[in-house]
Amino acid sequence: MPRISHTRPGEGRTLPRPDSDHGWLRTVRDGFFSGWISGAITVVFVAGLATILPSVWRWAVADAVWYTTDPSACRAASGACWAVVAEKYRVILFGTYPYDQHWRGALVVLFVTGLAVLSSVPRLWSARLFVVWAVAAVTVAVLMFGGIFGLPYVGTNQWGGLPLTMIVFITSVVFGLPLAVVLALGRRSHLPVIRAVCIGVIEIVRGLPLVSVLFMMIILLPLFLPSDLTVDKLLRALIGMVVFFGAYAAEVVRGGLQAIPAGQYDAAKALGLGYWPSMFKIILPQALRIVIPALMNDIIRAFKNTTFVSVIGIFDMLGATKASLRDVDWVRYSTEAYIFVALVFFLYCFAMSRYSQFIETRLGREDTR
Amino acid sequence: MTQALVKIDGLQKWYADFHALRDVTLHVGAGERVVICGPSGSGKSSLVRCVNRLEPHQGGRIEVAGTVLDDSPAAVHRIRLLSGMVFQQFNLFPHLTVLENLTLGPIHALRQTASQAEAHAMQLLERVRVADQALKFPGQLSGGQQQRVAIARALMTNPQLLLFDEPTSSLDPEMVSEVLDVMIELAREGVTMIVVTHEMGFARAVADLVVFMDQGEVVESAPPATFFANPANDRTRQFLAKLDLAA
Ligand SMILES: Nc1ncnc2c1ncn2[C@@H]1O[C@H](COP(=O)(O)OP(=O)(O)OP(=O)(O)O)[C@@H](O)[C@H]1O
Ligand SMILES: [Mg+2]
Repeated sequence: MPRISHTRPGEGRTLPRPDSDHGWLRTVRDGFFSGWISGAITVVFVAGLATILPSVWRWAVADAVWYTTDPSACRAASGACWAVVAEKYRVILFGTYPYDQHWRGALVVLFVTGLAVLSSVPRLWSARLFVVWAVAAVTVAVLMFGGIFGLPYVGTNQWGGLPLTMIVFITSVVFGLPLAVVLALGRRSHLPVIRAVCIGVIEIVRGLPLVSVLFMMIILLPLFLPSDLTVDKLLRALIGMVVFFGAYAAEVVRGGLQAIPAGQYDAAKALGLGYWPSMFKIILPQALRIVIPALMNDIIRAFKNTTFVSVIGIFDMLGATKASLRDVDWVRYSTEAYIFVALVFFLYCFAMSRYSQFIETRLGREDTR
Repeated sequence: MTQALVKIDGLQKWYADFHALRDVTLHVGAGERVVICGPSGSGKSSLVRCVNRLEPHQGGRIEVAGTVLDDSPAAVHRIRLLSGMVFQQFNLFPHLTVLENLTLGPIHALRQTASQAEAHAMQLLERVRVADQALKFPGQLSGGQQQRVAIARALMTNPQLLLFDEPTSSLDPEMVSEVLDVMIELAREGVTMIVVTHEMGFARAVADLVVFMDQGEVVESAPPATFFANPANDRTRQFLAKLDLAA
C-alpha cells in the first residue's frame, strides 16, 4: 500500500529550515576547514600572509616617509618614499601641460568623469546623449587648446597626464562604438564590396598588436597622405585607438545582432519599415542591450590600452610619470610613483567593473519583466 | 465575382534546392476570407510570406491590389504598406511599450506625426480590448493580449489585406478564443484575410474558401460547407480525420 500524506488547504505549517542557524564557528569550519585539502590551503595561505604582511607594513607604512620636499630625508629612511607623489603629482597628472594652466586639465578630468557617470544611468539613455557628448567634445577642445576666451594656446605636443588619458579613452569609445556598429552591420551586408571591406578591416586590425597599429598610424599614414598635409601626432594616435577599439567591439556587436530572432526582422519588414529605421529603432536597441556587459569589458580594456600611446611619445599618465622620474633626486622612488598611478588606474577600472556588474543584473531583470 | 485583390498564379518557390511551393494559384477577392490548412511543412507559411515578400519567389506571379510583386523596392514597399501581418510568435518589439509597438510603423514608414499615430493606436487597442495595457511592455502581457496587440499593430496602416500565420498556435488553450473573437469581428467588418490556421471552427464561421495544401501544392480548395462535408481528395480526408481526433 502506498502511503500518502494529505494536507488540507491552509493547514500546511511553515517550518524553519533545520540547517539555517549556523553561528560563526560553524561558518568558519564550513568555509575554511571543511575538509583536509581546504584546511591545508587555509593554513598555508594564513602562514604566507603572516610572513609577507609585516614587511609590507614596515615598508609601506611604519618606515615610510609621508611628506618631505627633501629627497635626502627619504634616503635616510628604510621604507617607502610617498613624498615623491606629493613632489611629482602635478607632472604625473598633467604631464608637460603649462604649469599655471593645469586647472584647465583638472576641469577636463572632472567634466569628462562627470559626464561619463551621467551617461551610465540607464534612465538617461537616449539619442540626446550624443548631442551632449558632441557639445562636451567642443568644450574639452576649447579648454585644452585655448587660444580663445583669453586662454593661452596650448598645442597637443604639450598635452599630457590624466586629461590626455581621458581624452584618448573617451575618444576611443565614443567614436569606436559607432564605428563598431557600422563594421558589424557592414559585415552582414548583402553588398559584397561593403562586406569585404568590413571583414578586411576587422580581421586585419584584430590580427595586429595595438602597438603596431599605433606605429602604422605614425609611420605609414604620412606615406599615404599628400606630403603637405601633416596630421597632428595625437590625432593620428587617436585614429589608431578608435579603429582598434572599433574592430574588437564590432565582433561583440555582431554577436548581439545574431541573437535577435528572425521574427523581429519579419515584423519590421511587414510594417513597411526600411533598413535604417528597422536597424535604429528595432534591431540595434535590442542587440546593444544584450552586449553591454561584453562591451564593458572592451571599454575597461580601452582605458588600460591608453597607456600604449606613450610608446609613440605621447605622454599619457603613465608616460608622464616616467618622464617625471627623470629627476635624479627622485628617480630611485619610481616604485612609489608607479604604485600611485596604478591606484588611479585601478580606481577608474574598478568603478567601471562594478558598474558592468550592476548593469548586467539590471538588464537581466528587464529581460524577465 | 468581385475584383481579385490578391492574384497568385503558378507560384514556384525553392529554398536552395528544396521545391517548397509548386505551381500554386490562388485568387482572393476584396473582402474575402481564405483559410489555409495542411500538414506541417506543406508550405503554408511560405505561401503567405511570399505575398508580402518576407520570402522571395522564383517563379509565377503575385499581384496585390494591382501592384505586381517583383524585385523593385517600390512595389515591395507598396504591398507591405497595404497589407498587415500577424505571426505565430507575435513578434512584438520587446523593448518598446505596447503603444510604441503600434506607432513605430506609421511614424517611420508613413511619416505620420506621433500624436496622429497615438490617437489611431489607442482606437485600435480599444477595438482589440487591450487599451488598458498601452503603456506596458509586451513581456508583461499574457499571450492572448500580446497577439491582440500584434493584430492592432498590423491594422495601423489601414491595410486592405491581413495575413495571419497560425495566430493561435502558440497560445495556451484558454486564450485562443479571445484572439479568434477579434479575428471574427475583423472578418465581419469585411477585411480581406488570408489565414493559416487549424482552427476549423473559425474556418466554418467566416471563411469564403478553405484551401488544403500538402507538399507545396494546393490539393483542394472549396467553400467550408463543401470542404468539410465532402472533401474530394484522400489526403484532405486523412488530414481532416486527424484534426477531428486531435480536437
Ligand atoms: N528558410 C528556410 N530554409 C530552408 N527550408 C525552409 C525554410 N523555410 C521553410 N523551409 C522548408 O520548406 C517547407 C515548407 O515550410 P513552411 O514553413 O512553409 O511549412 P508550413 O506549412 O508553414 O509548416 P508548419 O505547419 O510547420 O508551420 C518545409 O519543408 C520547410 O522545412
Ligand atoms: Mg508555418
